[in-house]
Amino acid sequence: MNPTLYMPIPATIERIEDETPDIKTFTIRPVEPIPFAAGQFVELAVPGIGEAPFTPSSSPKISDFMEITIMRTGRVTDWLHGMKAGDELGVRGPMGRAYPIENFHGREILIVGGGCGVGPLRSLLLALIDDLDAYARVIVRYGARSLDSIVFRDAQMHGWNQGGALDVMLTVDKASPGWDGHVGMLTDILTEEYLDCHASDGIAVMCGPPIMMKYGTDKLLERGYRPENIYLSMERNMSCGIGQCGHCRLGRYYVCKDGPVFSYDELQHNPRLWDD
Amino acid sequence: MKRTISVSSSLDEVLAFWANGRDVYALEGPVNGQYRFSKATTWQPGLHTLGDFRQLEPLKALFFPAREFIGRWSDQTAREPLPERIVFGVKNCDLSALAIFDHVFLHGLCPDPYYREARAKTILVSCDCAAQLDVCFCPAVGEQPFAKGGFDINIAETPGGYVIEDGSARGQQLLESAQQYLAPASEELLAGFDQQRARRYRELVELSQAHGLNPGTDFRAAIETTFESDFWKEIAADCVECGACNFICCTCHCFLLADGYDDDAKPARSKLWDACLYAGFAATAGGGNPRPLRAQRLRNRFDKKFSFFPQVLNRYACDGCGRCTEACIANIDIRDVLRRAVDESDALHAHSSDHREN
Repeated sequence: MNPTLYMPIPATIERIEDETPDIKTFTIRPVEPIPFAAGQFVELAVPGIGEAPFTPSSSPKISDFMEITIMRTGRVTDWLHGMKAGDELGVRGPMGRAYPIENFHGREILIVGGGCGVGPLRSLLLALIDDLDAYARVIVRYGARSLDSIVFRDAQMHGWNQGGALDVMLTVDKASPGWDGHVGMLTDILTEEYLDCHASDGIAVMCGPPIMMKYGTDKLLERGYRPENIYLSMERNMSCGIGQCGHCRLGRYYVCKDGPVFSYDELQHNPRLWDD
Repeated sequence: MKRTISVSSSLDEVLAFWANGRDVYALEGPVNGQYRFSKATTWQPGLHTLGDFRQLEPLKALFFPAREFIGRWSDQTAREPLPERIVFGVKNCDLSALAIFDHVFLHGLCPDPYYREARAKTILVSCDCAAQLDVCFCPAVGEQPFAKGGFDINIAETPGGYVIEDGSARGQQLLESAQQYLAPASEELLAGFDQQRARRYRELVELSQAHGLNPGTDFRAAIETTFESDFWKEIAADCVECGACNFICCTCHCFLLADGYDDDAKPARSKLWDACLYAGFAATAGGGNPRPLRAQRLRNRFDKKFSFFPQVLNRYACDGCGRCTEACIANIDIRDVLRRAVDESDALHAHSSDHREN
């Protein structure tokens, strides 16, 4: 009897790249490939210390390694940030429901990210970029605290915009030397002034801190996006990842198995959707 | 076919026969008004009993231990297999609760091999309640003081003798193997058995009603209607967040995968009971918490039992065993909470229809 459902498979950290002062991207190679779809998550375990859920930020086309973009914000992530290339980790997954990318074909897709929430969105974006002709248009709107805290800065500021393939616009809460872009809240750049979109039949995908998702969703609804076309990556305390341990319950759902990707119409009647 | 003990045999003889070659969990007591499980290798007449009412600790602990070792890091050594086991004296509240655990650990995305093994290797001998504790209220949540299913063998003691029934293929085999101790139950015996069950049920209904709870009350509607009510703050005012109600509950199934080190300083993982009353239960990294307030966490316990489970499994995750009432050092009585939710819900409905009329 092998209780692999609760025990991770071993993995090695191949590379660690600094994204911002408190966010790093870890390249992790498990002993066996972990095929995943964009939006699904894995549980990353530090031996003897603990485990936490993360969504890969790398292309779902690659399964023999994955990149995971992690903010230092708690006990497990403190440990992860102290680790180095060659160190051993454990991975369980993939878990949960991915972005329904097959429903996106032929449609305009707006990707809205805040802070470290752009990790899962990058994975989706890389899948979309692979097959860009299949979509009417891909738009990215991203907000960070400052220039220093923009994750995937090169790609966001240059790579993804190249040749006008994507419509990318960033905003920061606070201006600093070297920043000549927009300053203000993420919801500012979702207004008609900065976002020309086909809201009535467009897809919107959002991931970021709860407060941003709350006001971002309100803004998208106001712009005319339909609740069933707004996809949110919900954050809860996913632990077992298989709908048993009870930690990530959200109304009648477990975020680990019924999410983490939900359409807003599946969630909107929950009395406590967002943290206070 | 229902049987009874033959005139030349005794209940002790047949229970000892079934216990043979198995680890035995049987009730002892009552001591200070409570039965406890004791583990043995045989059925011990005089010490072991089937018990008049449910034991102190929940049956779930035999299938979902409070602390279960999962494994060592990078160590594929299989765990020692469980021995064959037999549990005597299971009451319906505990037995019915196994439906919750089967849903979570057998019928979900990934069956838990440990739970499956424990279920497969455990014979459940249930018995009708012959008395009740003051905290019992099973009829209010759709249960009754005797098992309707889920047992291998059920035993009811009546003034006219024992009524013994199989409830599974395994139970049928056990009855057949013990033919020498058994005889068909007479019609007279079965008539007395039916009357006794009806009487016991009525007594439990009266006890529930004395606390304001009627069978058939829609607790789901009451809990959902009162979700935003302030009465949760009043209920939670005395709660000390000890989690005793969670741990002692016959249906609470939440657990934590806990990482640490074993005696040889090797990284290892265990599965521990967890409690949704704890402040950190739903907390996420970075300080987020969907339920930062104690009243929200207490309400969550009721929301899970009386709204979530009706939606996913069409039943309450409460069998009316009353253990949480006994365990609560703040004297929070689950019956009072449910009754107040119903009253509050009725008041809200009355208020909203007043508004409509005006």
